Amino acid sequence: MNNLWIETGYISLNHVGETLCGDKVEISGGGTEDLTLVLADGLGSGVKANILSTLTSKILCTMISGGIPLEECVSTIAATLPVCSVRQVAYSTFTILRILKNQTAHIIQFDNPATIVLRHGELFEYPRTTRVISGKTIWESTFPIEADDVFIAMSDGAEWAGVGMTMNFGWTRDSIADFAIGNYLPDSSAKSIASLISDECNRLYGGRPGDDTTIAVARVCNRHAVNLLVGPPENKADDLRLMEQFFQSEGSRIVCGGTTSQVVSRYLNAPIEASLEYFDPEVPPICHIKGVDLTTEGVITLARVLTYAQDYLDQAHLSNVWQMQKDGASLIARELFEKATDVHFFVGRAINPAHQNPNLPINFAIKQQLITNLAHCLEKMGKHITLTYY
Amino acid sequence: MKITICIGSSCHLKGSRQIVEQLQRFIAERKLESQIELAGQFCMGNCQHGVCVTVDGETFSLSPETTQEFFENTVLPRL
Repeated sequence: MNNLWIETGYISLNHVGETLCGDKVEISGGGTEDLTLVLADGLGSGVKANILSTLTSKILCTMISGGIPLEECVSTIAATLPVCSVRQVAYSTFTILRILKNQTAHIIQFDNPATIVLRHGELFEYPRTTRVISGKTIWESTFPIEADDVFIAMSDGAEWAGVGMTMNFGWTRDSIADFAIGNYLPDSSAKSIASLISDECNRLYGGRPGDDTTIAVARVCNRHAVNLLVGPPENKADDLRLMEQFFQSEGSRIVCGGTTSQVVSRYLNAPIEASLEYFDPEVPPICHIKGVDLTTEGVITLARVLTYAQDYLDQAHLSNVWQMQKDGASLIARELFEKATDVHFFVGRAINPAHQNPNLPINFAIKQQLITNLAHCLEKMGKHITLTYY
Repeated sequence: MKITICIGSSCHLKGSRQIVEQLQRFIAERKLESQIELAGQFCMGNCQHGVCVTVDGETFSLSPETTQEFFENTVLPRL
């Protein structure tokens, strides 16, 4: 086993006026497990397209990840999809991206724009073979992966972006690749890349997409563990045990909370240097303790991180805020959402009597709820989460 | 002289930032930067009486409304 980790993220834009998307992404695995990502684009838009792409992606993802040969998967789809009464065809295009044993990429494509692969931020041209299954011409590619590889799958809505509006021929695959390369940052997460490209599509469409548009990204990265300590232990006698376990863990270290940072400062015998810089008026300034990568205030900062996490899992409208800002919540968000593959929460359950004031929105129950919710969001982002309570 | 303002959760919610901004302004207006050092500190453990502010080690309890009075009657005479 190598030290690689596969993370994924996608964004869909609906055809203007539609509440359902005719594209569908289905993902199974990821992390250190075999990944199967299917992007299906159903014929037309609205509910019919949605049914076609949902069936196609779900069937393909389940069967392919179960190791069933492609021929059987394709014939199952052909036999299952309802035939459109208007067009007399049953049709959905698809892209299947598999990454096996964190070593080999296997891409199977039918009629979607060809998946863009970036290697070290440059366009990587991969070999392609074709074969015909049930009358469909299917492209297949197999090649070994490397750290920092980025796979960008898309529906044709991306290529049509801007046709007849901002551009004559739409946004071609080549220009999308150029855009992805021009905006490449080694730390950008799969979701950030998907969001960047889909935002540009939306802009070219003038905010009114003329076709369902989906960008699905898988990215190969090196494993990176982040340890986040929040709250002093319930029993003071456990301070030392908690400190030892926290500082013996591999990875970067974040400490959240005033009292917590004092426990850390005593343990490391290093002073807390507070700053008075308010990069965001609502988020308290960060501190510095030598030996800790990041020290912030606790519950207010984490509440903001949770807001960013929930938005990130949805349409990621706030990404450009936390990706740029220097306040504590943005710094934590970047470390957790973009860099971390494994997050270990060290949660102390001491109750701060001063916070048990009904007029303050920071009591003990709220804090515990915050951490549970944040852990849940990170899990949905595909990260490996560990929670230890003290 | 060193003035330290608590920027812990509880004091933050009670207005640390507004107090910091007022003090920064008063100091700049009177050109006292060389005489007064402003610093932040995480929770001083006295949240019930926040916002906690210390002047050379002595603790005071402030709110954004009392900051100007504090600066004029407590800080300035000590310089």
